[in-house]
Amino acid sequence: MTHTQQQSIRKKACVALGAMILVLLPWVAALTGQEYYISFFSRVLIYAIAAVSLDLLLGYAGTVSLGHAAYVGVGAYVVGILFFHSAEMEPLFTWPFVFKGCENALVVIPLAVIISALFALVFGALSLRTRGMHFIMITLAFAQMLYYFFVSLEKYGGDDGLSLYNRSALPGLDLGNDTQFYYLCLTLLAAFLFFCTRLVASRFGLVLRGARDNERRLNALGANAYTYKLACFVIAGAGAGLAGSLLANQTEYVSPGLMHWTLSGELMVMVLIGGMGTLFGPVLGAAAFLFMEETLAMITEHWMIYMGPFLLLVVIFAKRGLFGLLTGEGKGHD
Amino acid sequence: MTDTILEVRNLHKTFGAVRATNGLNLGVTRGQIHALIGPNGAGKTTAVNQITGDILPDSGLVSFKGENVTRLAAHRRAARGMARSFQITHIFENLTVAENMALSICTHQGHNFKFWQNSLKTKAVREKLPAALARVDLTDRADLPASHLSHGEKRQLEVGMALTGNPDFLILDEPMAGMGPGGTVALTQLIRTLKGKLTILLVEHDMDVVFSLADRITVLVYGQDIATGPPDDIREDPAVRQAYLGEEE
Ligand SMILES: Nc1ncnc2c1ncn2[C@@H]1O[C@H](COP(=O)(O)OP(=O)(O)O)[C@@H](O)[C@H]1O
Ligand SMILES: [Mg+2]
Repeated sequence: MTHTQQQSIRKKACVALGAMILVLLPWVAALTGQEYYISFFSRVLIYAIAAVSLDLLLGYAGTVSLGHAAYVGVGAYVVGILFFHSAEMEPLFTWPFVFKGCENALVVIPLAVIISALFALVFGALSLRTRGMHFIMITLAFAQMLYYFFVSLEKYGGDDGLSLYNRSALPGLDLGNDTQFYYLCLTLLAAFLFFCTRLVASRFGLVLRGARDNERRLNALGANAYTYKLACFVIAGAGAGLAGSLLANQTEYVSPGLMHWTLSGELMVMVLIGGMGTLFGPVLGAAAFLFMEETLAMITEHWMIYMGPFLLLVVIFAKRGLFGLLTGEGKGHD
Repeated sequence: MTDTILEVRNLHKTFGAVRATNGLNLGVTRGQIHALIGPNGAGKTTAVNQITGDILPDSGLVSFKGENVTRLAAHRRAARGMARSFQITHIFENLTVAENMALSICTHQGHNFKFWQNSLKTKAVREKLPAALARVDLTDRADLPASHLSHGEKRQLEVGMALTGNPDFLILDEPMAGMGPGGTVALTQLIRTLKGKLTILLVEHDMDVVFSLADRITVLVYGQDIATGPPDDIREDPAVRQAYLGEEE
C-alpha cells in the first residue's frame, strides 16, 4: 500500500469518527445532563459552515479574503429583517406585490443564501480585479462598508441590532428545540461539505487549484482565472450566507457585529488552525477556536493572548493544521 | 500569404533603457518548424511573451491566423490554438503530475463550469491522459505532486503540458534547457515526430538541435531580426557568423 493510500484511509477514518461524535453528541449530552453542549456545538457547526466556505477561497482559489464575515452578516440580516416585518405586521414592500416578511425557514434560509451570493457576486467582481495586498484590503473595505451601513440603519436597530422573538418555522420540525436545531445544522454542514469535496475535485475545482498555483500557466492553457475565482467567491459567499441565516436563528439576534472584520479574522484563524485546503480541517478549527474562546474567556478577558501563540505553533509546525496532524499529512514539509 | 500562421511586424518593447524588442519582423509558415536563435539577452523570450500575450508591446503588430491579436489577452490567444512552454518552468506545483496534464486537457474542452464529476474521471481525461503522460515519459510519476519531481522531470512536464492541448501553433522557449543529455535526445525525437502536424516556433540554444530540426531560422540580435532563411543559408550568412555563430566557434 502506498503512502498516499494510507493517508487517504486515515483521513476517511478521521472524518468517520468526527461524524460519529457529532451525530451522537446531543444524545450523550442529554444522558449526562450537559444539554448546554447541544447549543454550544450548534454554534460550532454553524461557524464550521462559514469556515469551510472561507477555505474554498483561502485553500483552493488562493484568494485571501479578509471580509468574509460580510456574507455571514448579510445572511443573518435577511433572516432578521424578514422576521422583523413579519412580527411587526409591516410589509417589507408593497410593489409589485405585497410582501409581509416571513418566518418560514424554507423561504428565509434559501433567500439568505441567494442574497449573500449576490453580494459576493458584486463585491467579488470588483475586488478580484486586484490582487495580493490590494485584494485583502478591498475585501476588508467592502465588509466594513456594510458594517457601517447596518450600524446606521436605525429602523433595524442600528448598532444594537435586532432581536428575534423566536426561531424560523420549518414544517415538521421544531427549530425552537435545541436538539432538532442541532441536527438541522449538522445536516446542512454535512451536505455543504459533501458538495465542496465534489467541487474541489471536479473540473471546476481543478481549474481553480490551477489558478491558485500558477495563474500565468493557466492563462497559457487558455482558461481565464478571473471567471473561475469569481464563481468560487460567489459559492463561498452563499455558504457564509447559509451560516449567517443559521446563526441568526441560533442566537435569535442579529447585529452589525456579525460583519465586523474581527469575525472575518476569527474565521480565518479557524481555517488556519484546522488546516487550510482540507475542507474538513476548518470544522475542527471552528471547534478548537470556540472551545478555547469559551474556556479561556472564563479565566481572562484577554484570552486572545493565549490564542496567538497557539496559532503560531500550529501554523509553524503543522502544514495542514490540526487536521493534517490527525491524518499524518502535516509533516510533509518540502 | 494565406499559409502564414503568425506574423509579427515592426514590434517594439523597451524595459527602461533596455530595447528588448527593437523593430522585430517575423513570419511563420503553417506546418513548419521555425527556429528563433540569438545570443543570451537578445530578446527571444521577450518576443515570445508578446506573441503569446504575456506582455504587451509598446508598438507594432502581432497577427495570428489572419487576426490582429496584438492586444488580445493571453488566455484568448491560447483558446485560438496557441500553446507555449516557458523557459523558466511554470507548472502547477501543488497538483499531481496527472492533474497537471488533466488541467491542460480540460482547458481545451471548452468551459469548465462542471462542478460534480471528478476531473480525472471525465471522458476526455480518461481518453487522453495515458498518451499525454507517456509522450514525455512521466507515466510512473502520475500520482506524485509536481513539486516532488526532479528538475529534468519538471521540464518534461512543462513541455508535455504545452503539447497536450493539440495546439495548431506551439511555441517552445528553450525546451531542452536543464533536461540533461538523455532528455535532449528524447525531446528532439519527439519534436521530429510532430514535424508537419503542427507549426512550431522553437527558441533553442543548442545549435545541433536547431540545424537538424528547423525548416527556417530567424536570427535575433539586440531585439532585431538580422537574418531569416533556411538552415544552410543561415550557416553561410556572414552577418550571422559574425554576430552570433562566430562567438560559439
Ligand atoms: N521584465 C523585464 N524587465 C526588465 N528587463 C527585462 C525584462 N525582461 C527582459 N529584460 C531584458 O531584456 C533583454 C532581453 O531579454 P530576454 O528576452 O529574456 O532575452 P533572451 O530570451 O533572448 O535571452 C535582456 O537584456 C533582459 O535583461
Ligand atoms: Mg530567454
